Amino acid sequence: MPALKPSQPEVPQIVPAGQLRELTPDQIKPNAHNPRLLFDPKELLELKTNIAQHGVLVPITVYQTKGQSKFSILDGERRYRCVQELTAEGHLGKLGKPLVIPANVVEPPSKVAGLLYMFSIHNIREAWELMPTALSLKVVMEDLGEQDNKKLTKLTGLSEPQIERCKKLLTFPEEFQQLSLDPDPKTRIPPNFWIEALPVIDLALESSAVIAKLGRNGAIRKLVEKYRARKIKSVIHFRRIMESYDLNRDEPHAREQVLRRVEEFFLNPTIEIRAAFDEFVVEKKRVQTALNACDSFIAQLQGLRLRHTTEDEERQYLRDALRHVRDYCESLEQELKGGDDPDVARNLLALDDDGKDGEEGSSQQI
Amino acid sequence: MTTLLRCLIAGWKFHDYGPMPITFARAKAWLSQLKSKRDRQMAGRLLNSVIYISERETKRILLHQNQVLMDVLAKAGLSSKKLIYVSVDEAGSSSPVMLSILRNGAGLEQRGCKLLDSRDVLGIRDATSSLEEGAIVYVDDFVGSGDQLCTSRTSALQGVIGNFSEFLLVPCICEEGFKRLNALGVTVYAGHIHAKAERPLHEHSHVFDPPTKTRLIEICKGIRPKFGLGYQNMATMVVLYRNAPNGIPAVLRGSDKCRPFMGLFPRYRDLPVKK
Repeated sequence: MPALKPSQPEVPQIVPAGQLRELTPDQIKPNAHNPRLLFDPKELLELKTNIAQHGVLVPITVYQTKGQSKFSILDGERRYRCVQELTAEGHLGKLGKPLVIPANVVEPPSKVAGLLYMFSIHNIREAWELMPTALSLKVVMEDLGEQDNKKLTKLTGLSEPQIERCKKLLTFPEEFQQLSLDPDPKTRIPPNFWIEALPVIDLALESSAVIAKLGRNGAIRKLVEKYRARKIKSVIHFRRIMESYDLNRDEPHAREQVLRRVEEFFLNPTIEIRAAFDEFVVEKKRVQTALNACDSFIAQLQGLRLRHTTEDEERQYLRDALRHVRDYCESLEQELKGGDDPDVARNLLALDDDGKDGEEGSSQQI
Repeated sequence: MTTLLRCLIAGWKFHDYGPMPITFARAKAWLSQLKSKRDRQMAGRLLNSVIYISERETKRILLHQNQVLMDVLAKAGLSSKKLIYVSVDEAGSSSPVMLSILRNGAGLEQRGCKLLDSRDVLGIRDATSSLEEGAIVYVDDFVGSGDQLCTSRTSALQGVIGNFSEFLLVPCICEEGFKRLNALGVTVYAGHIHAKAERPLHEHSHVFDPPTKTRLIEICKGIRPKFGLGYQNMATMVVLYRNAPNGIPAVLRGSDKCRPFMGLFPRYRDLPVKK
């Protein structure tokens, strides 16, 4: 088995020691599951120059499937590519013979071993698409009877959050999983769609009798239709729905409004997420941010222990600054006393001053 | 060979061409669109180079190659129950039709083979996962550059779990597609490998003298300025009974919707829609 980077999780011994042979590039085929489609051309050129001078020094690992004359690469795709290119360029090996690649020919790995090996490659190099990863993980879980995230992390090298995401994908029926495997990227549903939509689907099914009547698959189909109709412009917009619910869950009236909007969102194909839910989130978030700012401002000042300083000049600066803060806070607090938007009130006042609109004394009513 | 004789032969040889049956009169009408006698003679020579694969021939090749492949795999220890036949294009197109011919002609289902579509990734996953080892056999009627097959293969491979050899069963494949698939490790079982050299209008072919070749290319580009020599300038000369590949020269294929130039081998999508 080829050496893995030390930072990578240990992968079980899955490839037994094999027999060393010398193979020509046309006896070898790239592994169809290798995720490395792109190689750094600079690094590849360096390796190629090296191989042209010294040949392939470290054997690649290959296996042969039944009925296939060629050997599939388990490890050593870059070395193979270099030799393939050198051969195509007419480069010859020692004694003017065709270039050969030393290869450790091993038995084909078992189903799970092959998957675990590919997991290790994908972790070191290029990530698999999430849906194929989830499907492969499912096979590993079923075959090894293992569901524990920590153990699966050790086996596959996937992080726990990755495993959690894969498990979420696997909760969707195959009909929907298939949509994320569409070969056409234009029509493929991104795997994150399912992950982001999951809490929204659960919320809708729990809170709306109409959605519950549609059933889980019916509700999911509604969301897919909306996505295809570009009414969900980004899958992370689903978070806006959950934020709306979370921010208003303790206020019965607002909560009801949000839930009604969720139902409407599922049933009305023309409603877009942000247009439907921004009103529940933006204002609340602004206030929440201001409250957090007040708390953190006081906490920071308290942390500085400023009750006494010997520097007269600096003490004066500080007092001025605090007065400034107090004045600003007082004026803000005054403005917040009324229920109307002070900008609107000010505009109305200005209109009254110009004598263009409104009755005399109307400004006092504001 | 006289023009009339060429038309007679065309009507006999290509009579079962799917999109539009070819008769003596149609062949004559096709040639008569070319104004000069010299152009008609050159087009007639080009017609002589067409490699036509009839329905009967298609079935014969497919069934024969399939039997050869099954024998090879049986010797390698893979029984027919370990074979997954995969169609590589949407329903109604050639690949599922070829798979259907094989299914009925070779009794694939009775032998325990699995028949799937390349886009059914989950079906492929279930089949390969339960078998653990075996062979995937892609089926089509013609492969040109191999672009479409490679796209379908990539899709299918997302679902493959275990050790599976890959094969392609096809009545005819172009040299370009053959090389590409061979490099990917897909073993091709074909009735005919269509070399560049046997395509008179291909840049690497010297079948025709340069003036004839130049003039015919000129005619083709006059009919279809961008695709005069077909997809990727392949200038393929193979015509299948179900349809002509998109790589055939425009003088044979004709204009879009068959106007202004009516080809002898229009593709289905070139035909005007009947109201």
